[in-house]
Amino acid sequence: MAGQLTREGITLKGSAEIVSEFFFFGINSILYQRGIYPPETFTRAQKYGLTLLVSTDPDLKNYLNTVVEQLKDWLYKCQVQKLVVVITSIDSNEILERWQFDIECDKTVKDDSVVREKSPKVIQEEIRSVIRQITATVTFLPLLEEACAFDLLIYTDKDLQVPEKWEESGPQFVSNSEEVRLRSFTTTIHKVNSMVAYKKIDS
Amino acid sequence: MAEAGDEWELCKENVQPLRQGRAMSTLQEVLSQQESSNHNVIQQQKQTFELELRFYSGDDPLDVWDRYIKWAEQAFPQGGKESNLSPLLERAVKIFHQEKQYYDDLRYLNICLKFANCCTEPVDLYSYLHSQGIGILHAPLYIAWAEEYEARGNFKKADSIFQDGIQRKAQPVDKLEASHKQFQARVSRQVLQNLADGDTVEEPESSEPQRSSLVDLKARGKNKVRAPISRVGDAIKRPSQNFSAPMAPPQQIPSRSRFTVFDENAGVLVHESQPTLSSQPWAALPQSRAKENEQKAGPWNSGRSSRSTHQASNHDATPSFPSFTPYVDELAEQHTVTPCKINPAVTSVLSARKPSKEEDPLQRLQNSSQAKEEKVMYCKNKVYAGMEEFSIEEIRAEIYMAKVRKKREEDLIASALRRQEMEKQIQELEKRLKGSCSENPEQITMEATPTEESNKILGTVENEPQWEQDGVSSGCAPSDKDDVEPVLCTTSALQLPNIDVLSLDQNKPKPTNLSLTLSSEMPFTIFDETCETQPSVASQSRVPPSARRPLASVSKAFVHEDVPLAVTLDGIEPLNEEAIVSGSDRNKTLFAEPEDTCDFVRAAQLASTPFHKCDSPDMERLPLREKTPVYEESFQQVVCSKKLSPILEASREDTPSSASSISAGSTSLFTSKTLLIQEKFDPSGQMSGVYEQASDCYVDLEELHRNLLLPKNELLTSEHIHWEAGQMPPFEDQEEIHFGGETYQLRSKVSIGESSNLLIATLSDLEMESITGVVLKMDSQPVPWDFYITQQLTERLGEDFDSYFLKQNDNYIFQDGCVTIYKDVSRFTIQDLLEDQKTLTEEIIILFTYNLLSLLEKLHSVEMIYGGLRMETLVLDNKIFDLSSCTELNGCIKPTDFYHSMDMRLCPTLTSRAFPIAQTEYGQQVLAGQNSPYQVDLLGIANVVHLMIFNECLQVLHEDSAWKIRKEIPRLWRRELWGSFFTKILNTDSKSSAHVLKELKDEMEQLLDSSFQEGLCLYFLQLEASHSLL
Repeated sequence: MAGQLTREGITLKGSAEIVSEFFFFGINSILYQRGIYPPETFTRAQKYGLTLLVSTDPDLKNYLNTVVEQLKDWLYKCQVQKLVVVITSIDSNEILERWQFDIECDKTVKDDSVVREKSPKVIQEEIRSVIRQITATVTFLPLLEEACAFDLLIYTDKDLQVPEKWEESGPQFVSNSEEVRLRSFTTTIHKVNSMVAYKKIDS
Repeated sequence: MAEAGDEWELCKENVQPLRQGRAMSTLQEVLSQQESSNHNVIQQQKQTFELELRFYSGDDPLDVWDRYIKWAEQAFPQGGKESNLSPLLERAVKIFHQEKQYYDDLRYLNICLKFANCCTEPVDLYSYLHSQGIGILHAPLYIAWAEEYEARGNFKKADSIFQDGIQRKAQPVDKLEASHKQFQARVSRQVLQNLADGDTVEEPESSEPQRSSLVDLKARGKNKVRAPISRVGDAIKRPSQNFSAPMAPPQQIPSRSRFTVFDENAGVLVHESQPTLSSQPWAALPQSRAKENEQKAGPWNSGRSSRSTHQASNHDATPSFPSFTPYVDELAEQHTVTPCKINPAVTSVLSARKPSKEEDPLQRLQNSSQAKEEKVMYCKNKVYAGMEEFSIEEIRAEIYMAKVRKKREEDLIASALRRQEMEKQIQELEKRLKGSCSENPEQITMEATPTEESNKILGTVENEPQWEQDGVSSGCAPSDKDDVEPVLCTTSALQLPNIDVLSLDQNKPKPTNLSLTLSSEMPFTIFDETCETQPSVASQSRVPPSARRPLASVSKAFVHEDVPLAVTLDGIEPLNEEAIVSGSDRNKTLFAEPEDTCDFVRAAQLASTPFHKCDSPDMERLPLREKTPVYEESFQQVVCSKKLSPILEASREDTPSSASSISAGSTSLFTSKTLLIQEKFDPSGQMSGVYEQASDCYVDLEELHRNLLLPKNELLTSEHIHWEAGQMPPFEDQEEIHFGGETYQLRSKVSIGESSNLLIATLSDLEMESITGVVLKMDSQPVPWDFYITQQLTERLGEDFDSYFLKQNDNYIFQDGCVTIYKDVSRFTIQDLLEDQKTLTEEIIILFTYNLLSLLEKLHSVEMIYGGLRMETLVLDNKIFDLSSCTELNGCIKPTDFYHSMDMRLCPTLTSRAFPIAQTEYGQQVLAGQNSPYQVDLLGIANVVHLMIFNECLQVLHEDSAWKIRKEIPRLWRRELWGSFFTKILNTDSKSSAHVLKELKDEMEQLLDSSFQEGLCLYFLQLEASHSLL
C-alpha cells in the first residue's frame, strides 16, 4: 500500500493499487449492504478506519480477486473509464440497481517516475467517506425483495483486447431510474466518481 | 465534511428505510428544510391534501388518500408522531373498509398492509382482511401475512397461508410462489442448522419450553430481524388451542405447565387450519393496538356535571359503540348480555334498548351507521374528514375559494372562446369583403349599431359600479389579479361615450394586432364587441346566427324595451348584457392606443358633457339603412355637409334633433371604413364599386386623406406631432403670427384647394432683408397628410430625402385643422421670382426644369405622385444663394405642399382624373387618352416650365398625332432643346414616367457646365442684392 511509503506522495502504481483496493472493499460493501449474498457469509475486516464486511464465500472471493487484479493492471495503464456493479433480479432478470464508478485517469502519467503530492491519509479519508455513503444509501434505496445477482462491468478504452473470461456487454441501465451522486475521491492520478441509480418509486 | 446535498447522509439514522425506496429530491428537500426548521412547504402540502380530502368530488376518493399517504411517507423520513402516518393509515383503512369497490384494489390493500406494520398485532388485521375478502386476490397479502407468522416462528401457519394464497391464485402467482419457495428454503436451512447444532432430535413439544435469556438476535423472517420469540413452545402449541377458534387472541399465556398434555387433535390440525381461516366473520376492523383500556381524552370538568344530571347518566348507561372488536368465545352465552336496566323510578321517559339489537356487538357495529339517529347540523364530515380538524370557517372559505377559482377558470375559458370566435368572425368578414362590393351596405349597417348601442347603454353603465362582478360580464375577466377594483371599472365604463369613432375605426382594420396589444397591456381581457356584434346584426338580414353567441344576439325589440329600462332602473337592473358587452368594448378602444393623447384629450372634454340618450334610436337607424345602399348620395352629402369630424358631432350630440347629422356623419365614416378594409385586404388593385365612384369624380381630397390615414395609428403618435386641444388660431388676416412660441412676419399667402393655405413668413426677430423664411402649411382638417407624405418619403428615400425635400420641423394638430411648419428655407417661391423679374433667364429656367425633373423622378421612384405642381408652392432652397460653393445643382427647389400628393402604395387604384390638373383645359386634352396618374406630374412640369418661359398657362394643340405647345419658343433661346422637351413630356406614349423624366433630366444635365453655373451665380447674387435693398 502506498501509504506505507515514508515519502508522502503517490506514484502511478500506488494509485492503481489504492483504487483497485477501494473497489474490492466497495464491491464487498455493496454486496453485503444490498443483501446479494447472505450476511452470514461475510466477515469483518478493519480498513480505512472502518469495520468493513468482506465475503468469505470462496467463489466470490476468487472472482473478486481476479477482477481486481485485472482492474489494477488496467488502472496502471490508465485504460479504465468506468466500473459498474449491476444488481439484477434472478427471477425476472430485471435490473434493479446500478452502481457506477467513473474513473478519470490522468494519462499524462506514464510511469512511476512521476510522484504526485498527496497524503495517503487524505486519500484514505476520502475513500472512507465514499464507503460510508455506500452504507448510508439504505436510507433511500428500495428494498430488494427478490433474490438478486450482481454483475461487474468495466468500461475500458476501445482498443483494448477483451481478456479471457471477460465478455463484452451492454451498459445495462436501470429503466425509469432515479440517480443519486455519491462522493468522489482522487489520488490525483485516478479520480473516482460514484453514483447509484435505482428504480423510481411508482407514485 | 458537510456539503450541500449531503443531508441524507448526515441524517441517515433518522431516515426510515422504505420498502419502495425514497425519492432523493424529496428527501433532500425535506431534510434541508428540517435543518432550517422551516416546515412551511410541508405544512402547505399537507394542508393541500387535507383540503383535497374534504372537497374531493371525483369518483375515486381513495386516490387522494393514497397520494396523501405516499406523500407522508416521503415527506417525513423519520416517521414518528409528526408524520401522523399511523393515524393516517388507520383513518384511510377505516373509511374504506366498507367500500366494496376497493376490496380488490391493490392500493387499498397496500394501505392496509402498511397499516398492519403499525399495528402490534398485524395478524389480526391480515385475518380480518382475509375474512372480508379485501385483497384476497393479491399476493402481497399472503406474503406479508406469512412473513408475520414466520417471524413469530409459526412456520406451519405461514406455510398454510402461502398454500391458501396459491390456491386462490393470488396475483402475481409467480411472486407468491417464489416467496413461498424462499420461505421453505429458509425453514429447511434453519432446521438443518438446528440439527447441526446438536439440538435434541426429539419433537419440540416433548421438551420443556425454556425461555432463553440474552440470546443472539437472529433473523427469523427474510426482512425482519427481531428478538427471537421465546414463546416457541406456545407458537407450536397454538394450533392445538386454535382448532375451534383460530383467531385466538395473540396474547397467549406462556404455558408454565410442567407436564405436557396429550392433544388428540394434534394430528388433524394442519389440515383443518386452512378452511378455518375464514370461518369467523370480522365485522369491524381489528385495532392497531390493544387499546381496550385506553381512555379517550376529554374535558376534565365534564365528569362531575354529567353525573349530576339524569340525562347524562342515561347517556352513560346506554352502551356506546365500542370501537374495538371484543373477542367472543364461540361457546360463550350470547344472550347473557343484557342492557343496563334503567331505574323507572328515575326516569320513565326512556325505554330500554331491546336486547335483540345487541345480540351481536359485531353486527351492531356493522349497522352502526344506519342506527345513527342524530342529525348533525353542520358539515361534520368535512370538519373531521382528514387528519386535522378544520374549522367551519376554513371550510367555508375553501368552498368560497373554490367557487371563485371555478368562476375564474370559466371566465378564462369563455374569454378564450370568445377570442377564437372573434378571430373567426374577422376572417369571415375579410372573406366577405373580398367577395363582392354589393355587400357593403349591409356591413355599413352592422357597423352603425355599436355607436348607437353605446349611446343607449350609457345610463346603465354609469350606475353600475358592480357590473364586472356579474357572471355574465366576463368581458373583463381578471386573468391574474385577484380582483379588479370595481371603481376602476366604473371609471373606464364612464369613459365609454368619449371614445371617438375615429380611433374605434382605426383599430378596425387590424383587429388581430389589436387583440395582441390588448392582451399584453391590460390586466383583464377584453371582449371585442365590434366583431361580436357585427355578425349578430348582420344575422338579422342575412347570416344565420351561430349557436354560440349568447351575448351578441341583440334583437331590435330588445333594444326598444331596454332603452327606457336602462334609464329608469339604473342600478337595480345590473345585468344588462349589452352594457357589459359594449362597455368592455369601449374600454378596449380607449385603451388600444393609450399613448394616443388625442383620444384622451377628447375623452376628457367629452366626459364632462352630459350625454343624452337618443329617444328614438330607430330614427337614427332608419335613415342609415335607407341611405346606405344609395351610396353616392350619402357620400355626396358628407362632402357637402359641414366638414366637421364625426367625433365632434357625436360628442355634441346632446339633443335628438342632431340625429340626422350624426347619421350623415356616421354614414360617411362607415363607408370610408369599408373602403379602407377593402384596400387593406385587397391591395392587388381590384376596384370595388364604391371606390371607383369615389375616384372617378373629383375626389374630395380631405375625405380621402383622412380615410387613408385612418389605419395609420402610429403616425399620430410621432414625436413631431403636437396635439392641440383648441381650435386652430386664425392666421390669415394678421401681419404677425404667433405660433409655437415664435412670432412670424407674414410675407405671402397662397391658397391651396378649398381649405388649405400656405403661409410664407419670416421670423420677425430677424432683419427684414433676410432671405430665410418659414413656411406654414395650414389645413382645415386635422389630418396630418403632409406629415404622412414627408414621413413616407423620409423612409423610402433615405439619404436622398434631405437633398430634395424639406424637413418638417413641427406639426400641430388642432380640432379643426393642422399646421405644418418648415424652417430653413428661403422665402422665395418660383412665383416670386417670376413676378419680380417678369421673365427669368433661360439658364434659370433650365436649372429649375432640371431640378423639377429630378425631384419628380425621385418621387415617382418611390411611388409618390406630387399632383399639384404650382410655382407658388415651390420654394427656393437657401443654398441656391450660395451656388458658388456648391457643386450640386440638385434640390434647388423644395416643394412645400403635399396636399395633392398621393402615395400610390396607399391608394394604388387612383387614376389621373383625381388630380386638379385633370380639370384644366390642357389637362383634359392631354390626359384624355391616358390614365396613368404619373402623367399628371409630367403635365405639371410642362405647365410650370411653360409658365416660366411664357408667363402663361400651358396651351397645347394636337398636330401630326402629337401634342405641341401653341407658343413659339423665343428666338434667342435654345429652340431645339425646349421643342424636344415639350414634345417628349407631352407625348409620353406608353413610356413610363420615370423613363421620360430620366431622359429629359439627362438632356438638361448636359447643359449644366461650369460656365452655365457662373451665370446662375451671378443671377442669384443679383437677386439677393435686390431683395436686400428692398
